[in-house]
Amino acid sequence: MLLSRRLLLGLAMAGALAVPALAGEGPTEIDLFFPVPVDGKLARDMGTLIKEFNETHPAIKATAVYTGSYDDTLIKTRASIKAGKPPATVIMSANFLLDMQIENELTNLDSLIAADGTTKDQFLGQFFPALQGNAVINRSVYGVPFHNSTPLLYINADKAKEAGLDPNKPPQTWAELTDWAKKLTKREGDKVTQWGIAIPCAYDYCGWMMETLTMSNGGRYYNEEFGGEVYYDTPSMLGALSWWNDLVYKHKVHAPGATPGPAVSTSFISGNAAMMMLSTGSLTYVRDNAKFAYKVAFIPRNVRNAVPIGGASLIMPAGLEADKQKAAWTLIKWMTSPEKSGWWSRATGYFAPNMAAYKTPEMVDFLNKNPDAKTAVEQLDVAKPWFATYKTVPVRKNLEDEVMLVLNGKKQPKEALAAAQKAADETLKPYNAETSLKLP
Amino acid sequence: MRSISRRDEMSLAEPAALPVATSAAPRLHVLKRFTSSFKASLPAYLLLLPSLVFLALFTYGAMGRVLIDALYQRATPKAPVRFVGLDNISAVLADPAFTGAVVNNLIYAVGTVVPSIALALLFALALSRTHAVNSALRAALFLPVLIPMVAASALFLFIFLPNVGLLDYYIGRLLPVLPNWLGDPDIALYAIMVITVWKNAGYYMLFFLAGLQAVPEDVMEAAHLDGAGPFMRLRYIILPELKPTFLFVTVIAILNAVTQVDHVFVMTQGGPSNSTNLVLFYIYQQAVEHYDVGKASAATLLTLAALMGLTALSFRTMANREGGP
Repeated sequence: MLLSRRLLLGLAMAGALAVPALAGEGPTEIDLFFPVPVDGKLARDMGTLIKEFNETHPAIKATAVYTGSYDDTLIKTRASIKAGKPPATVIMSANFLLDMQIENELTNLDSLIAADGTTKDQFLGQFFPALQGNAVINRSVYGVPFHNSTPLLYINADKAKEAGLDPNKPPQTWAELTDWAKKLTKREGDKVTQWGIAIPCAYDYCGWMMETLTMSNGGRYYNEEFGGEVYYDTPSMLGALSWWNDLVYKHKVHAPGATPGPAVSTSFISGNAAMMMLSTGSLTYVRDNAKFAYKVAFIPRNVRNAVPIGGASLIMPAGLEADKQKAAWTLIKWMTSPEKSGWWSRATGYFAPNMAAYKTPEMVDFLNKNPDAKTAVEQLDVAKPWFATYKTVPVRKNLEDEVMLVLNGKKQPKEALAAAQKAADETLKPYNAETSLKLP
Repeated sequence: MRSISRRDEMSLAEPAALPVATSAAPRLHVLKRFTSSFKASLPAYLLLLPSLVFLALFTYGAMGRVLIDALYQRATPKAPVRFVGLDNISAVLADPAFTGAVVNNLIYAVGTVVPSIALALLFALALSRTHAVNSALRAALFLPVLIPMVAASALFLFIFLPNVGLLDYYIGRLLPVLPNWLGDPDIALYAIMVITVWKNAGYYMLFFLAGLQAVPEDVMEAAHLDGAGPFMRLRYIILPELKPTFLFVTVIAILNAVTQVDHVFVMTQGGPSNSTNLVLFYIYQQAVEHYDVGKASAATLLTLAALMGLTALSFRTMANREGGP
């Protein structure tokens, strides 16, 4: 009995070993790593998309592998590169590209673009200009924008009307937003039963919101041309953080403490927060779940209208075999084509990076029915790249840890930003040592 | 008696070897003696071989790799890795995030081990007699153990949701300002500790229930006849009898406090402001976020050394007392 089982096991193992040997004849098998960073049912939509690709491309067999959050996806991609079996393509958070390129983990896509008989400018020209900053490094293309977002102001229109505000004229400036938030906060004695506004602050989201507020205050978060500098200890960021701090402790219209994204959207959906700043990626979730009329609007400005982009690009890890590279390139081009780009946008709430997507009849029809989806696209005119530095995550965390202390009333904005700058400079030191401070 | 029991322990894996080893002439050549004993125990080693291979590949191999990785570091991103000796270890020890994580972990260990063991003992004492009601209650208390930590954390994420979560929904009627359970650095670590206690108390209860079965019935009866009240019986009979169980459970609980960080991953990612950063999560951050394998390996070595020291100490204490669980 034992022997026969062993025999069976042996046969099964031999069979398992033989399969890949035979597979040389069949379609090229490639893996696509994809994260699910926002609310909604992205995983199922991805299954639908890849199934369609495989049906229309018999020579390629793509498998979609769910890899968790953006951060998890980076980890898993790096682990598989180290193990010598990189996935053929990955939907990678757009601000990780620079860090990966510095670590030599990305395939330069220039030659694949040239092999198609197009120029780099023609290829990039398909996408909104705001997205190019995170896809191009040192004038070479390393990523193809797949789904992108900008932060939006979501307003509970019913509550706004209740408070005597006109939801069709959303707040345009920080002053107006502060005023709205005050009017939308409800108190019973000292107790707040409804918050005027909620802004998420958990690792990842917090840095993005700080970039949003800093940009609309006229500032820059980082040096867009060079990965070794961030501008934390600056007047524009000080103004941004001070305003956020004031919303919590001076005006008392924003709940104290750090609140993660899902908690913010739940709070908005349940009516506990009357306004929130959140990614366009959550738009479909809000549309499906809100039991009240809502409005979306541009992020209000203090100095100028400006927001960072978010979202992800399709990348190819370094060290792929030629046939997989070719198959992956086919998949990437298919996924970022106007039709598929538009379909994905309608399914998820992200905007479609391919400008031609908005010319397709389905998209025109969709925007007529859901004018709120237009806002994100219109805001793209003032959008700029997402911060990306050497060691993006730790550098971002250097700021986030300090912002969390401020939101919890443990530090004042000025000293917090000075501490964040000092920590970030330390994190960036090795990179500067080999670039900006490496002198002849 | 003790030496024989030691011998028994050692020869568990190779029972066939015992008579050979003891009957061989003491003056034989060392090598010869070794080969003969090896020959005799060869079947045992062969049977152990598959496990040894996997143990070597996946446990000791990985540990060896960590040991090597901990000695190397690159100075700048593009520079090749070079041997730096103990630099990584001193860098980890000098990192305030690491010392912060150690302090957090100590608070976390004390704050989870003590209450969960106290609760477990209380449950076990209350439910030691087996009948239908107690069985049902035991099952109810054991239930959290069956829920995977990740699922439990996701569940508690909703319970702890500020303003709209289950907890705030009820507590909100009592408190003027609602705490942001996971978003306030003063509270977050304790919120995480509550989950650990909730999850582990039922598991430790099982050990105490088993330990209580071993309390000799006749001693209890004698004490009863001598007029010892319930507290006296607990203080002078039950607790001393449970000593080995206490030791064992304490070791398991401390190991859990260092090795179980699933809820940190799911709920707080070490935040806000590193207030729930535990040692294992710090290692993860160094390896993954900072992409610093050298420092991550050094921190792993330090943790391993601490855990091994702890385990060795407790096993020695256990061996010095008679028996164990």
